[in-house]
Amino acid sequence: METNWAADHLQTIRTLMERSALYRRALAPIMTFAGTLGVLAAVFGCLLKIDSPRPFILYWMAVGIVAFSGSLLLVRRQALKDAEAFWSPPTRRVAHALMPPLFSGFVIGVVLHVHVATADPPLGRVLSMLWLPVGWVVLYGCAMCAAGFFTPRGLRIFGWAFILGGCGLFAVGIPDWVSRLYFAHGIMGGFFGALHLAYGAYLYLTEKGKNAA
Amino acid sequence: MNPEPFLQLDRVIHEKGRLAIMSMLAASPELSFTELRDTLEMTDGNLTTHIRTLQEAGYISISKSYQNNRPLTTCSLTAPGRKAFAGYIGLLEEILQQTKPR
Repeated sequence: METNWAADHLQTIRTLMERSALYRRALAPIMTFAGTLGVLAAVFGCLLKIDSPRPFILYWMAVGIVAFSGSLLLVRRQALKDAEAFWSPPTRRVAHALMPPLFSGFVIGVVLHVHVATADPPLGRVLSMLWLPVGWVVLYGCAMCAAGFFTPRGLRIFGWAFILGGCGLFAVGIPDWVSRLYFAHGIMGGFFGALHLAYGAYLYLTEKGKNAA
Repeated sequence: MNPEPFLQLDRVIHEKGRLAIMSMLAASPELSFTELRDTLEMTDGNLTTHIRTLQEAGYISISKSYQNNRPLTTCSLTAPGRKAFAGYIGLLEEILQQTKPR
């Protein structure tokens, strides 16, 4: 009987230690915000016919920066509301996990933006409007997977959806029947918009009572 | 069975609520009062009492600051607290080892 008691205590300690290291901010509002922004940006990108390499890169990097800043503000708002530190140890861990792939994506975008002007035009278009969006999708998936080790649930699967989807698109390339404009913005809107919205909806439905931003 | 490890268990840590607080703090450099309260589902009064006991034993330290003009209370394990917690876990493992079928 005493063995059970000691084993139960050790199990409780292990569970609490694991829970203590988890990121506790509600992700649903952040995902919904990022998804809405992604869908709107894709629609506007198509409407504004942003289909040349440099404006495309610049446009989507600006959208990424707005999404990142907005997400940070939402996290800060939640922390203030809960009377908790914004830059708490779990937040630091998640940020450290996110940074390498996100930073790589940012640098690749900047480098391509600089060099695509002097590249052969067809090559520049393929690089910036196929390889770059798909590369961003895969890198973002890696970031979500890494952050998923410090969040309660689902984020790693969400990350894998990006990685598998991105790799699949690498294999398929741009189909002949679709225009480059719609394909490139479609990838960005589909992954960074629709997929975020779907995950946000899933979190809203399964995390009731925790999602007030 | 040798009852000694059981008798050596630190009574301050052994209480369920205080053990939970110590476990949470052992895995994180610091935690706010609200994080502890919400995760452990304790009342403010209950948590305050346990924290005071642990603080008096020298196991945790409390720091009070302000974040956006709102008070922010954070708790962290002290060095003696970390040592006592490690000792407590060691004793639990010893009890388990003693009662394992050979």
